[in-house]
Amino acid sequence: MAKGIGKIKIRTPRRYKKGDVIPIKALITHPMETGFRKDKKTGKRIPAYYISDVNVFYGGELITQMQWTIAVSANPFMTFYLKADKDAPLKIVWKDIKGKVFEKTVQIKPQ
Amino acid sequence: MKEGNTYSRRQFMIMTGLACAAVVSSSSLGTLFKTGVAEAAEKPEKENINDVLKKYFGDRKVEMSHVKLKTPIIAENGAVVPITIISDLPMDKDNYVKKIYIFVDENYHPFTASAELSPANGKASLALRIKMRKTSNVRAILETNKGRLYGAQKTVKVTIGGCGG
Repeated sequence: MAKGIGKIKIRTPRRYKKGDVIPIKALITHPMETGFRKDKKTGKRIPAYYISDVNVFYGGELITQMQWTIAVSANPFMTFYLKADKDAPLKIVWKDIKGKVFEKTVQIKPQ
Repeated sequence: MKEGNTYSRRQFMIMTGLACAAVVSSSSLGTLFKTGVAEAAEKPEKENINDVLKKYFGDRKVEMSHVKLKTPIIAENGAVVPITIISDLPMDKDNYVKKIYIFVDENYHPFTASAELSPANGKASLALRIKMRKTSNVRAILETNKGRLYGAQKTVKVTIGGCGG
């Protein structure tokens, strides 16, 4: 399970014009442990381990800030919208409760 | 001799069967009781949805309009329930949706996720996959920068075991 934590995929539409509102889809590999689950072999509880903060920057500006809890599914997949009004990088940063930070940048290029 | 043998065998079977049943039931009951107690001790206290809503929004009223919540009617796996929040509220510079909240009534902690938006998003919509402990109401509440609340709610049936009932 620990393998592949932080693997990120971000998908943007193939073609869009300046000023279009486009969907951004992002998937990150993360176990999102609730802390209620038990290890079947040892019977011990698996400690909670989840992503608590997601920040989205567009051209250096913080545009969306999400707070997540344990009730977000494992390998969270989210879709949000963005007004593509400039040619700028879109950076998404995930932070989990162990302090690990995962980030990925994609370029928004309106045509 | 023959008769006596069958009789004793039958009796033996009955006796052992009863004994086995007794042992099994008592032991399984014992373990069930034990684990039940242990789990109850470990399980967190469930927060009441009304208290949670009060904590987040005070006494402000939620208007049930302008928001559409898309969920499956039946979720076969409570660990992955895709939900989509769609709203036609404006996202202008001085009139926009500031925050989206997601609550699941029957979860131990009903507050599931929130997202602070800005006019740069262009559209007050969000899709996420969430976990649900059991059949419950899902609420989406949108707060505008002027402090008005809009919401939508829907019941999602969670079936464990995937029988679809």
